[in-house]
Order: sequence, then structure tokens, then C-alpha cells
Amino acid sequence: MDIENSPRAGMWLARVAVPAPGASALPPVQPEAVAPAAAEVRVKVDIRDVDFFYGKTQALKNINMSLRDRRVTAFIGPSGCGKSTLLRIVNRIYELYPNQTATGEVLVDGQNILASTFDLNAVRSKIGMVFQRPTPFPMSIYDNIAFGIRLYEKLPTSEMDNRVESALRRTALWDEVKDKLRQSGLSLSGGQQQRLCIARAIAVQPEVLLLDEPASALDPISTQRIEELIAELRPDYCIVIVTHNMQQAARCSDYTAFMYLGELIEFDETERMFTHPREKRTEDYITGRFG
Amino acid sequence: MSATSAAALFRRRRLKSVLWIGACGIFATAVAVILLLIMGYIVREGISAISIPFLTRLPRPTGISGGGVANGIVGTLIIVGIAALMAFPVGVLVGTYVAVYGHRRMSQWLSFLADVLAGVPSIAIGIYAYTLLVEPFRHFSAFSASFAFAVLMIPLVIRATEGAISIVPRELREAATALGAPEARVVLKILVVAARPGIITGLLLSLARVTGETAPLLFTAFGSQYWELRPGQPMAELSLQIFTYAISPYADWHAQAWGGALILILAVFVLSVLARLSVLFGREGRGHGGTA
Amino acid sequence: MAAEHIVKSYDEELGRLSKIIAEMGGLAESQLAAAVDAVSRRDSALALQVVEGDAKVDELERELNNLAIRLLALRQPMAIDLREIFVALKIGSDLERMCDYAANVAKRSIALSHTPPVQSVHSLPRMAHLALRLVKDVIDAYVAHDADKALQVWRSDEELDEMYASLFREFLTYMMEDARNIGTYTHLLFMAKNIERIGDHATNIAENLYYLVHGTALTEVRPKGDRTSLEVVAPESRVGR
Repeated sequence: MDIENSPRAGMWLARVAVPAPGASALPPVQPEAVAPAAAEVRVKVDIRDVDFFYGKTQALKNINMSLRDRRVTAFIGPSGCGKSTLLRIVNRIYELYPNQTATGEVLVDGQNILASTFDLNAVRSKIGMVFQRPTPFPMSIYDNIAFGIRLYEKLPTSEMDNRVESALRRTALWDEVKDKLRQSGLSLSGGQQQRLCIARAIAVQPEVLLLDEPASALDPISTQRIEELIAELRPDYCIVIVTHNMQQAARCSDYTAFMYLGELIEFDETERMFTHPREKRTEDYITGRFG
Repeated sequence: MSATSAAALFRRRRLKSVLWIGACGIFATAVAVILLLIMGYIVREGISAISIPFLTRLPRPTGISGGGVANGIVGTLIIVGIAALMAFPVGVLVGTYVAVYGHRRMSQWLSFLADVLAGVPSIAIGIYAYTLLVEPFRHFSAFSASFAFAVLMIPLVIRATEGAISIVPRELREAATALGAPEARVVLKILVVAARPGIITGLLLSLARVTGETAPLLFTAFGSQYWELRPGQPMAELSLQIFTYAISPYADWHAQAWGGALILILAVFVLSVLARLSVLFGREGRGHGGTA
Repeated sequence: MAAEHIVKSYDEELGRLSKIIAEMGGLAESQLAAAVDAVSRRDSALALQVVEGDAKVDELERELNNLAIRLLALRQPMAIDLREIFVALKIGSDLERMCDYAANVAKRSIALSHTPPVQSVHSLPRMAHLALRLVKDVIDAYVAHDADKALQVWRSDEELDEMYASLFREFLTYMMEDARNIGTYTHLLFMAKNIERIGDHATNIAENLYYLVHGTALTEVRPKGDRTSLEVVAPESRVGR
């Protein structure tokens, strides 16, 4: 019923000048600060049509994915889904083992690192990797960091000291180890060892950091330190983290990729993945249902 | 299951457990007792022979007192030392190769050959050294003995090195490679260093193994009554001297053989203890703990 | 709902959550129906029952909140499960408010039973009937996770709003005609407002249900049939007549 046309209403009711709900006089509501659209963030690593084989067994099927710079991308999925395998393609570490082959393209800053002509050391100097089990080298804490730097640069002692210190500071390890730099890296606790490994990886000034379940062997406190570290490093690197812990993926990453049986099922902004994924298989996995 | 049958089951299990543990205990004790008896016997028989002159003098003919085994001890050190100089580098390098490139056909062959070589009786290796290094020169030599020892040691060192390197976590190699380190650097600076305690243990055990060998020496070092330090000449050696003295009909030589045996056993004992310690020290500080 | 969880007790707890919502929904319906009955039959005893019955709903809401908190803390729900729990919490408070409104209608009916009966009391049950249908439909939609049905409810609230708008004008007219009626019609007006509010809560539930099923908020602008809040009584217009 329309008020204006109501005969009775006109007699004693007057319309007050209130704007209609549709044409609000209020200032336009600013849209919430949303995560920048995918296109606004530069693609650092572009994975195109990648297949991977262990001998004759195909472990990855036609993977296409873009990893963005200054963002954290998480790979999740059940054991054996190929998430670690995919990570290991990005720095070609799989080549240590015979019978492992990858086809397709992995473009880092536009260059295909899978091309056999591409210099492996050049790939690896740009891409740091941290593993599930802490892997301090059998040498002093100082030399653990210096080992990687010495591969690329010949620095005078004082400068090397600075580089070691800044890497250790970056990983919030400096205060804990500054008085025992000459002790073995193996003398540290598991969580410290893992941060040492991250420090070692960033000491060579890479652009991409690959973290293969970096906290799965650590207690909850050390895990939180690693997650905090990821947040601190995020503004400067393209970070990829493989994790079995979905809450961890949810906490640390901007984008999440769900993989299953060698396929990329869904790849989206993390918030979307964990609130309303598009794919049924993703939903079943992250909510803990039978797949 | 009823309570009574459960009780019967547990009783049977307990009984079985007691029987097996008991059997293990009895045999372990038996072995330990035999070992201790042998050691005790050697110590009892040998301790009286050991004296400063015994350790510092040359052998003397039977019936003349005051003879020693100094040349044998020095000879053993020289022969085993040269053998180690030959066997260690070869063994460690081959072992490293086999461990790092285990998938290659070459290392599978090497590994197989090492196994075969480890199974060849030491006397056969002695004959081999004889044919190769004694007969052509018509001359016994300490060097030929060292060569025979080295052949005995190499498979042991290969096996020990391979084992020690292959238990280094795979990720350590990957981590070094991921930093962009060239392969040689990864292997020598990371893998071999991480495996060092295990490799040292293997080296010491291979030394202990050949120090007690006698058979190959019969056709190679041959033995000597004199101070002989030149590797090209026949040389005295402790276990060979024990052999010679022990099969002689003279009581004073028998006593000296016991003394020599005691020294030899002590040497092997010390090497074994060192090998144990190197493992212990290697493990220290290597706790791959998961806690902060 | 999707396939079962690997952890069975998780399913049981989520099931319990929906059951509480359904139970609260049932109570909201019966409370409203009884309250309106009490109005038209001038039955103070029944009204009292409704007022007392509100405690039961509050208790269910507390149980719902505790269970939801427990699930959030212990299960760390994701995706559909997270939405399920979040939406259950919101629907729970909507249902609780609905029952408060029903109780308020009942309370006012007690006061009303002491005043002389008026003719237009009968328009109230008509409105309540529509509200009851919305509540029932939205709860059915919740149980079936049926977003389309929820959308229907969401749209048909307009009708309720219009009904309220016309009642509003009607009651105002009676009040102006005879000042002695003001007390009675004020109560009736508040009752109508309460019922209209119940409809709004039903649309809230429908919106949440839409979010639960689709994972995105309903962004369409809801058609509004009630513009009474934009109207004022302007005495001068009467003077001018």
C-alpha cells in the first residue's frame, strides 16, 4: 500500500522529508579494505603445465599455478598428494635423485628454470629451501650461515660478521646465540635449529623461500615462532609453505592450494578456501570428512 | 574370554618370557665367561714376561735370557701404518662414492666386490701378495705385508664409510644443494664431515682387525731377528713372532709368546675402546630434538 | 549436510546444535501462537504461561552458546562447519528475541484483558498468522538447509510490514477519534510492532541461512513494506482540516 495514495493518510499524516532508502544521503560507504585483487600482486613463480614422474609413476598432473611475490602461498593436501613434490620442482632439488623427471615450465621472473640450459646454481641462489627436519650442517653456528654466503661471495671478515649477524637478527635468533657462535649448530634446540636453517637460507639473499613442513617437527611454541617469522619475512619474499596443519595454512598464508592425488584441486585466497571453498573435495578435506 | 582362561594365558606368557630371557642370559654369560677366561689366562701367562727389557730389546736365542720383542712392536706399527696409508684414502673415497652414487651401476659393482673381498680368507690374500710382490722380486718385504693388510682393510673401510654416510639425513644433502653448493662441496664439507664419527670408528676397527692377523705375514713380512726399518726388507712383526715362539719347543720362548699376545690384545682392546668413544663423541650434541 | 566427519563425535555435536535450533524455533512458534490466542480470548492464564515459558528458551539459548563455544574451541571448524556454528549462534539469538517479543505480547494481553474489549483486536491475529508462517517456513528451511525457501521468507516479510503499516494507521485513527482508547490501542500497537519485529528476525534468519548455504552474504536490498518510521503525526494537518 502506498502512503501517498492512501486517502485517509493524507488527511492527518504529513510526509517528513526523509530520503528514500535507496537514495541515501549518507556519504557512500567505503568498501572494506579487501585483500588486493590477484592481478595487483606481481607473479614471481609461474608454474605451467607441469607433470612429474617418479620413474614411470606420474606424481603430478598438469599443474598450473602462479605464486605471487611478497605473499605467502600454502600447499595443503593429504600425504602423497604431491604438494612436497611440487615444492621440490621449484628449485629442481628433485634432480638429486635419478628417475625423477619434470616436464612443463616453471617461470621464475619469466625465465623457465626447468630448461636444461638454465644454470642450476643461478636457480638455487635465488630460491632458499627449509625442510621438515632441521638440517644444521655439522659445523659452528657462524659457519652454518657463512657456508652459503661463501658460495657466492668472497667477503672480508668484518663484512661476513655483519652478514651473519643480520641473518640471525632477521630470524630473531641473534640474542639467543650471539655468545656461542662458535658452537656447533647441532647444540641448539630443535626450534632454534630450524630458525638457524631459515637464517642460513635468507643469508644468501634469495627471492623465493620454499618451506617444506617447517614446523611439523617442532613443539607449539617453536611453531608459533616460525609462523611469526614467516609473517616478518612476508614483505620481502615470495614464500611457499607446505603444511599438514590446516590451521597453520589458514594462519600464515595469503593463498592456499589444495592438492589431491597429484592434481591441483583448488587454488584461491586463503580466507575464501577456509570459509567457503568452491570444490566439494576441498571442503571435505578441510572440514575432516570422508573424501 | 573368561577370567580364568585369561589368567592361564598370562601365566603361559610369563613362563615363556622367563624361559627365553633366561636362555639369553645363560648364553650371554657363557660367552662373557669364556672371553674373560681367555683374557685372564693370557694376562696371567703374559704379565710375568712383560718387562722394560722385553719391550725395548731385540729377540735373543733360546736359553739366553733378556730377549725382547721391540723389533716386532715397531715392525707391527710400520706394517700396519703403511697399510693404513694405502687403505684409508682408497676405502673412504670408494665408500663415499658408493654411498653418494648408490644408484649407479659402478657403485653397485664396487659394493659387490667389496663384499666378496671381505669374504676372502686372509691367507689367500697373503698368497696373492706373495705372488704379486714377493715372488717377482725373489725377496720378502714389509711392504708386501702392508699391501696384504691394506687389501684386507679396504672392504671394511668401504663398508664403514658407506654405512656412516648413508645414515646422514637425506635432507642435509638437499639443504646444502638447495643453497646452491656444488656437488663436491656438498659431499666433502657436509656429508663426509657429518659422517666423520662413523668413518673414524670404521677405520679404527679395521686397524684392530689387521693388527691381529698372522696368516698373510707368513709369505710376506716373513719376520726378522734384527732391527729392520726398511719397508723393502723382511721385517719382524708381533703376531708373527708370537706364532714362531709358540710353535717352538722352548719354554722361555713360550713365555715370551704369551707376553707378546698380551701386548697385542691390549693394542686391539685400546683400538676398540677408541672406536667406541669416537661414536659416543660423535653423537654428543647431535640431538635432533624437537623441543625448543 | 555433506558427508560424515571422520571424527564421529563431531557430527553428533553439530547435530545437537541443529536440534537445539529446531527446538527453539518450535518454541518461538508455539509461544507466539499462544500469546496471540491469549489476546483474542482475553485469557490471562494462558498469557501467564507464555511469559513463564520464556525461561525455557533462554535456557536453550545458553545451551546453544555453550555448545557453539565448545565446538569452536575444541574442533577448530573450517568452511561449512564454521559457517554452521557461526550461523547457529546468530539464529539462536534471533529466536531468543522472537520469544521475548512473544512474551511481551502475552504480558500486554494481561493488561488488555482489564480494559473493555475493542473491535479491531481481530486484525492482530491475522498479522500473527502471517508471522507464524514466516517463522515456521524459515525454521523448515533451516532444517533442510534450503536457501531458496529462505529467500521466499525473506521476500514475504514485506507483506507483514505492509500489514503492520496499515494497522499502525488504523490504530492511530482510533486513538485520535476517542482519547479514551489510547491506552488500549497503545498496547495493541506495541503488540503489532512486536509481531512485525518477529518477522524481521525471521528475515535475519533467512539471510544467515543464505550465508550458511552459499558462503556469501545476501547483498540484495530487501523490499520494505513498512515506512511508518518515516511518518509522524502532524497535529497541524488536523488543525488545518
